[in-house]
Amino acid sequence: MLVAWRYRKRENSLIQSFDPRAWVIFYACFLFSTLSFWDVRFLLPFFVIAMFVLLTSGVKWHEIRRAFLFIVGFVFFFAILTFLTGRGGTELYKEEHLIREFRASFSILGWTPVLKVTVERAFFAVSQLVRVSSIAVMTILIPYSLNPSLYGITFKGVGLPDKFAYAMDLTMRFIPTFGRDFQLTMDAQRARGYELDKISGGIIQQVRKLGPIFVPVTIHAIISSEDIIDAMDLRAFGVGPRTWLDVLTYQFRDRILIVFGVLILAASIVVGSFGHGAFWVPEALINMFP
Amino acid sequence: MNETPLVVENLSFRYRDRQGAAIQSISFEAKPGEVLLIAGASGCGKTTLIRAINGLIPRSYKGEINGRVLVFGEEVKDWKLSQISQKIGTVLQDPERQILGTKVINEVAFGLENLGMPREEIFKRVDEALDFLKISDLRYRETFNLSGGEKQKVALAGVLAMRPSILLLDEPLASLDPASAQDTLDAVRALADQGLSVLMVEHRVEDVLRIHPERVMFMSEGGIRYLGDIAGLSKVVNYREVKISAEEIVERAKQDPAPAEIKVLPGAAGKGEKEALVKFENVAFGYDVEHEVLHGINLEINRGDVIAVLGPNGAGKTTFVKHAIGLLKPKSGRVLVDGHDTREASVAQIARTLGYVFQSPSHMLFAPTVHDELAFGPINMKHTKEQIELEVKEALKIVNLSEKENDPPLALSFGQQKRVSIAAILAMRSRILVMDEPTAGQDYQNYMNFMDSILQLPAFEAILFITHDVDLAAIYANRVLMVNDGRLVADGKPQDVLRDFDRLKANRLIPTSLLALNLKRLGATGRFMRAEALAHI
Repeated sequence: MLVAWRYRKRENSLIQSFDPRAWVIFYACFLFSTLSFWDVRFLLPFFVIAMFVLLTSGVKWHEIRRAFLFIVGFVFFFAILTFLTGRGGTELYKEEHLIREFRASFSILGWTPVLKVTVERAFFAVSQLVRVSSIAVMTILIPYSLNPSLYGITFKGVGLPDKFAYAMDLTMRFIPTFGRDFQLTMDAQRARGYELDKISGGIIQQVRKLGPIFVPVTIHAIISSEDIIDAMDLRAFGVGPRTWLDVLTYQFRDRILIVFGVLILAASIVVGSFGHGAFWVPEALINMFP
Repeated sequence: MNETPLVVENLSFRYRDRQGAAIQSISFEAKPGEVLLIAGASGCGKTTLIRAINGLIPRSYKGEINGRVLVFGEEVKDWKLSQISQKIGTVLQDPERQILGTKVINEVAFGLENLGMPREEIFKRVDEALDFLKISDLRYRETFNLSGGEKQKVALAGVLAMRPSILLLDEPLASLDPASAQDTLDAVRALADQGLSVLMVEHRVEDVLRIHPERVMFMSEGGIRYLGDIAGLSKVVNYREVKISAEEIVERAKQDPAPAEIKVLPGAAGKGEKEALVKFENVAFGYDVEHEVLHGINLEINRGDVIAVLGPNGAGKTTFVKHAIGLLKPKSGRVLVDGHDTREASVAQIARTLGYVFQSPSHMLFAPTVHDELAFGPINMKHTKEQIELEVKEALKIVNLSEKENDPPLALSFGQQKRVSIAAILAMRSRILVMDEPTAGQDYQNYMNFMDSILQLPAFEAILFITHDVDLAAIYANRVLMVNDGRLVADGKPQDVLRDFDRLKANRLIPTSLLALNLKRLGATGRFMRAEALAHI
């Protein structure tokens, strides 16, 4: 059975005070606008908006702590990785201004590891952090704030055909369901003496040893999908245009939010088309490290 | 228009990737207003027959089909599934596999939404279906928070709202507590009395007999072995194959030799004083901070205990036993297994002492053959190769699957998969065996046989099983725990706990004919016995 995210109605939640269609449209505008910039000066307002939405969402820290820490850890890991390797930002800047160089005291087969800290790498890491964090914060709030029983009508309401809208509804609920099934399988195999953290051997051997987890989870997902298709077929899904029981109605504030989102997107496109918002490093810093 | 809702003519089907027909030469009619009970052992073709009638065969399940299915005189071969679904409603075995909506109202309305009905008509029909099943109070509840019984009724309401003429029910009682099962059966009877034709596949024959089905079909190896009234069933089937009333079994078993006495837990005997193998000390637990699910559980599982855990759907039984193997850790209090706090041991370590059979087999089966599946646990426990072979063979024999040793477990029927999952834990030879609804979805003969065998295994020092089957508790357990609302509400000998019918009712249990007979003869027997044994007292 498909389970839903841990949504609940929250008093005084800004995000929940809007029609879900308005919020989805605003989110899409926010997403594309944020993705169109690398300049940290342009990204900071988006970060501020994301933090404002988070703080007014009514979501309690203990509810999102695990997911939040996971995503923040993930974002930091990749920011540090690109900072250390210098890869990732090289398409955005052509030259680098060295702040300091750290050379290892050892060599591997004649190669000596060197860490170059440059102005560009440092600023790229900061820009990346701000950019991805803004998107992550806005995304993480969706499952906690959108009513799962309205997923289908929301996607229908933003223009998707019936079948796609319902498919999106099922997909949104498939993710937590998959998580639950994974946990159940882990529990069932642990009860048979299986210890994931004690897997040893070469890479191929290690992958083979993951079979007791991945085979049941995959098979279960396939069987569940077939069950869902059967259950839908047995109740005439897809025979023609369907009626949606829930009805959503835009209020004035929803229209304002949509206009605000569209304006942000339009402004971002215009600013970008004039060559602004690309990767930026303060001139003063470059001059300090010629 | 032909007035007969359903006619099945010489129907046979073979699944594409399997040898041999799953059903062959099935012919019968279903009349308006009748309940037709379809019984038979696991894998006899009952579910295949249902799929062939509701159109999933051959549309979703491919293979070779012969014969005809006629609905009100029209052959449905060329009908779209959506057309069939407006005449034939199907409730699948597990409501979890059927429910799609996040809220009850959305779930019940799903089919009507798909038919593009006006919203007013949808609301009207949804209300009617919910009212009919007396679940109007669930209207705005989230479906994944419902109990098993509630889910079953919601799934049924979703089908009824489409106003079918024929209702197919595939083991609707499999995971329900007795009171929920009775509620479902009453609803089915009422539907038939209103003119619906109901075909109900069910292993719990004795329970269904309470609503007086008009006819019963007994299937065997893909064919019909008996089709006729209830009275005739007991004449053609063995009382070991189908669970019939205790009085009838007693009557018929008098002619047979007395059943052999079962030596319960021979491994525990001769090990001296009763010793606490598992201890729950004031255990409380909640899945989130706001809701506590278990409240202050205190108990010991001692050497020699065969414990049946009874209680309503959603009472906290599974949550309780998951603490014993350390899958869940108490929020307060502690659980000791063999003197060790479960907080300080891994699940894999505890599994050496305590084997746990999960409710659903599909979450654990992965190996290419049944043999490898059974060897997985013992290999993890570092048993020797010779020992593993012996353990696998013996476990297969107990669950009656020796001939399937080299088959892929995932290709077996649900009932057989369930037995593989039990055998997989048996092969580990833990000292304590814990089983979560081991008999759900199993046919009577099979589960009685493997329960007999498991109890006589010398490896186990204690056994605990969760069940909704009062008779199973009465026959096999020497101690009954009753759990309700996260609390232990009764703990004692079966004859002490189960004699209080008010308590049974409060815990959504229903006295059975076997329980009543045992209580009547308790003065002479001193303990609960199976009906075959009572026949010789």
